Amino acid sequence: MARHHTPDRDDRRRPPGALVRPEGSAPTGPEEGAERGHERAAGALPETLRGPATLLLGLYLVGLFLCVAGNTASGTSLLVGTIKDRLFAPWMVPLWLDLGHDTRLTYGLPEDADHHLEIYLAGQLSGKPVGQPAGKPAGKRVGRPTAALRLPADGDHSERAARWRRLAAAAVLAEEDAEQAGVLPAAIGAGSFAAAGDDDLEIRIVRSVPPDYASARSPRGTETALEVRVRRRDGELQLIPMPPAEELAPLIDAAPAPGGEN
Amino acid sequence: MGHRSSSSVAALAAAAAGTWDRFWFTPTTAGRLAIVRALAGLLGLLLAWSWARDLVVWFGPDGIVSPQVLGAWRSPTALSLFDVARSSAALWALFFFGVGLLGLLTVGAWTLFTAPLAALFWASLLHRGPMLVGPADDVLAVILWCLVVGRSGDAFSVDRRLAAAEARPSWRNGLALAFLRLHASVIAAAAVVAQLKADVWWNGTAAWWLAARESTRVDLTGVFAGSEIATNFVTHAIVLFEIAFATGVWNRWTRGPVARAGLVGWPLIGLVAGEPMWGAAMAILAWACLPDDSAAGTAGPPL
Repeated sequence: MARHHTPDRDDRRRPPGALVRPEGSAPTGPEEGAERGHERAAGALPETLRGPATLLLGLYLVGLFLCVAGNTASGTSLLVGTIKDRLFAPWMVPLWLDLGHDTRLTYGLPEDADHHLEIYLAGQLSGKPVGQPAGKPAGKRVGRPTAALRLPADGDHSERAARWRRLAAAAVLAEEDAEQAGVLPAAIGAGSFAAAGDDDLEIRIVRSVPPDYASARSPRGTETALEVRVRRRDGELQLIPMPPAEELAPLIDAAPAPGGEN
Repeated sequence: MGHRSSSSVAALAAAAAGTWDRFWFTPTTAGRLAIVRALAGLLGLLLAWSWARDLVVWFGPDGIVSPQVLGAWRSPTALSLFDVARSSAALWALFFFGVGLLGLLTVGAWTLFTAPLAALFWASLLHRGPMLVGPADDVLAVILWCLVVGRSGDAFSVDRRLAAAEARPSWRNGLALAFLRLHASVIAAAAVVAQLKADVWWNGTAAWWLAARESTRVDLTGVFAGSEIATNFVTHAIVLFEIAFATGVWNRWTRGPVARAGLVGWPLIGLVAGEPMWGAAMAILAWACLPDDSAAGTAGPPL
């Protein structure tokens, strides 16, 4: 049976008129044999290295599998986590190869929505201008206050904007982690003091929530995912959580009480 | 009987060893890998640009991603060259040095050195701001480390132009391409597994949730709002494509078609998903998956 011959790109470098012999056939003389041996040595992995190379490849494949299994949003088992952390993380993490690659794109959840940062001077969001420096307008609770800084800018679809969105989303997500909670909002505030010209800021992280498919023609909604006040007093950075507006609003019963006056 | 079974086991083991050797260690010319190198370098430059404007705001002496933030975010084994850049000037110097490395890698200059240094730079940059990293950054890191293994400077490069001798096929190029193919399949498979955990990928509305985001680059909301069938089709097509890609690159008959489809499919998915750079990075991996015989003319003329 004739073997399928895959064209070798080296064919083009073969001198015109040179003998073309089927793959795997033996050399016809010592000179040709030496030449082929030289070619093999030049391009092929030496036989002595194949064993160690195979061992290393096997090790890497195990590491790759453990990294994928150990970096999913679903969590990981103690066994997988321990093996990965002990044997593979020390050399795969520095190379940025400890990756789960679980690119889910979207789950349709609020946390998958676009997030952005809004930075206000103190009092603009809460309506309580505590320690408001003279000459700086306090925000009013009537209508939506104007952010001193919005990151990323509205309508910015660049990769840079995507990084700001990731930062905002990470700050919200980190609130569920005891070690990370509050760290990023405080850092965002501290990093924005100079740009805002004030050491007392209110930071709001807003998510832009698309409508359900059932009401696809509706406009996107926005919801506040996180709201904090960050200030520096006597060189000390303070993070003051701001309760959601619904917790501050008085409860008003719209319906008149039975027997009550209108 | 026993002799026959032992000989068939030996034959199977020999066949498996041969397949393993052919997959990982086949000497290959540098043409395809050189194109991966050039495209990855260009993608790296584009992604680096997205870090540049806010570099000091994020990583500067008074930046948002302070050492305290990193302490809460980063693995203890993580390292970054940027950790030693304590001033804005040092930060910029290191950043531009890295961008220069990516530029040299793109044109294939001193590739033996620029490939590992560019990969090191990229890993350092990502470790400096892990919460800012996107899927395109991850895939690029993988590609850059794969390039370190091969001899991508042997074709389409300044190195090739300056070299006295003709470049020969090398097992290192075959190994690098095998790594790229492996990762292409793993990344696609991991994406499918992640997606299929959610209802929206089963009920066919995931495409809507992607398109309706504020950050979307291509507004398809009108199309999807008008046709649920179209929304379902795009959602299921994304999943089926990813499954086909993850599995198809391992079969000699399907590898060519799925790799060619990947050159178009991944950028389209990236556009729909609002992650065009990730789509581009995956397309680079798809290029690396193309069978040898479809790359005529990539044997390596100088730049």
